[in-house]
Amino acid sequence: MAIVIDKSQRWRVVAAHVFMIGLCALVIFPLLIVVAISLRPGNFATGSLIPETISLEHWRFALGIPTPGPDGQMITPDLPVLRWLWNSVKVATASATVALFLSTTAAYAFARMRFVGKKSALLGLTLMQMFPTILALIAIHAIFSRIGHAFPLLGIDSHWALVLAYSGGIALHVWTIKGFYETIPVEIEEAAIVDGATPWQAFWRVLLPMSLPILVVVFLLAFIGAIIEYPQASVLLRTQPNLTLAVGSKQFLYAQKYLWGDFAAAAILSGLPISAVFILAQRWMISGLTSGANKG
Amino acid sequence: MANLQFKALRKSFGDMEILHGVDLEIQDGEFIVFVGPSGCGKSTLLRCIAGLEEITSGELLIGGVPMNDIPPSKRGIAMVFQSYALYPHMTVAENMAFGLKLAGHSKVEVADAVQKAAQILQIEALLDRRPKALSGGQRQRVAIGRAIVRKPGVFLFDEPLSNLDAGLRVQMRVELARLHADLRTTMVYVTHDQVEAMTLANRIVVLNQGRIEQVGAPLELYNAPINRFVAGFMGSPKMNFLPCTLVAAAPTGATVRLEDGTLVAVAVDATGQAVGAALILGIRPEHLEASRTGGEGRARTAVRVAEHLGDTVFLYVDSPGGAGQLTVKAQPEDPLHMGDEAHLCFPAQRCYLFGADDRTLPRIA
Repeated sequence: MAIVIDKSQRWRVVAAHVFMIGLCALVIFPLLIVVAISLRPGNFATGSLIPETISLEHWRFALGIPTPGPDGQMITPDLPVLRWLWNSVKVATASATVALFLSTTAAYAFARMRFVGKKSALLGLTLMQMFPTILALIAIHAIFSRIGHAFPLLGIDSHWALVLAYSGGIALHVWTIKGFYETIPVEIEEAAIVDGATPWQAFWRVLLPMSLPILVVVFLLAFIGAIIEYPQASVLLRTQPNLTLAVGSKQFLYAQKYLWGDFAAAAILSGLPISAVFILAQRWMISGLTSGANKG
Repeated sequence: MANLQFKALRKSFGDMEILHGVDLEIQDGEFIVFVGPSGCGKSTLLRCIAGLEEITSGELLIGGVPMNDIPPSKRGIAMVFQSYALYPHMTVAENMAFGLKLAGHSKVEVADAVQKAAQILQIEALLDRRPKALSGGQRQRVAIGRAIVRKPGVFLFDEPLSNLDAGLRVQMRVELARLHADLRTTMVYVTHDQVEAMTLANRIVVLNQGRIEQVGAPLELYNAPINRFVAGFMGSPKMNFLPCTLVAAAPTGATVRLEDGTLVAVAVDATGQAVGAALILGIRPEHLEASRTGGEGRARTAVRVAEHLGDTVFLYVDSPGGAGQLTVKAQPEDPLHMGDEAHLCFPAQRCYLFGADDRTLPRIA
């Protein structure tokens, strides 16, 4: 691929590069500021990008390591940041897994099966999800409060309640996976059925392995969505040890005192599981899994 | 091994009826080919046998057992798809073993069966590869291998060669014929290619718009098509059709007048038709003769295009006195050229006459 380029095109290439570098800076800059704030002594939101003195006090706080106070006494941090991080990872992993299971099976039905009301069901699912979750907060609270009376495990202030709430938001995932399924020739599943597979076996042993890339993408999206979600978690979780990091971080910022430094360290911590999952998932996000099935 | 019976089989998709009542018997061990233009229902009929489509009404029996409500895996069939439909995430060996594994055969049995099938198809060296790393012809073999290992009573082929290039298609055609001779299993084969039908079939079923037009041995269909559709469909290039009027009819033969006034004698018993009736004269390109010199019963026309294929020449000539074009298959020695005047001769024994209802009039042997 080396197409001959007109000379006047060169300036456009330069301009495009400038634009893209600018865009990258725009994306990276806030992250660098957060890193800087977390390493700067004191809790100031403003200051130079490269701190003059580096202090690990905020990181010690976030990681729960006792620090010597002004009077020389060791002070143990009063906010369980690592525990919140663990809560976030737990809820995100569980809800992404449930969401993946529900959306792959639902998408299979929508992509491959013939049933009455298919179109309206798909449309209805999407329409309902278009309303912002905030508007449903009161309903979500009421529902889980009620469920909690019957099943305390799924009541207010339970992680399972949060997992259940998050797992409901799969309409977009269903659309995404359905679109992918539709690119896979039906004949492959028909071949499996003639070979003696049940519809479930054809789905599980033939269709799903070919859909791996899209499953990874959907899992990632669901995972990230759960890690950064605030409104529902803030309503459903009550006690401090149960909070997720997104909700808990709010406790650094109260009216009398803004602990920007601690907040920044916690923010970076919350990004770590996302990055880790992303790196792990990347090896499965490969194209061409279906090549070879057909003439190609 | 199994025979098949169709009894008034109908298939509709919603309000659209695709198959309008198919009655047919396929003998055990027969190689039967469904042939017809696209949309004639041949693939639908095959999918009904496989159980991939529900039968709307009528009955299908395989080995004497009604199959209407039996799922595909229990029908004792194996199918080779047009697109091969291999499992891309499995190796060749796993692809072939999939059905047996699901049926719960032991590992040793499965490995044995796969090895045997691989030997028959000469793909032993490919067993550890993924379909991605195979050529089109090799993929086709794997697809066939996947069908063989299951030892089905009936093989179903849905246009299996249409994705291959011309050379490979001929090679696979020969191998399929050999495979049938070896296995002696009933095979049902769908194609729109009449050459495949002629070369492979014990019997051909010609379908058109959801109905069976004619069933018979290849040469029977070629020599004695029952109507104009079958006559036009079987044989390549297809039969020439010319409008004509009946001038005289006797039990010993008939005379027709072409549009340009030429009188042609044909060995057809047209006594059932009124003199003056509008008929269609049919003659195959290989039987139509074109020469430089005119004479009685010869129609004068001009060569539009001449295609030299080496062993033969195809001449495309204007239809005498009418619109349209006729094809003549000529010998390469001293051929006519583009723009030459040509005189067409219609050998009486080679001509067909079709009535107003498109049915073939009885020919005199």
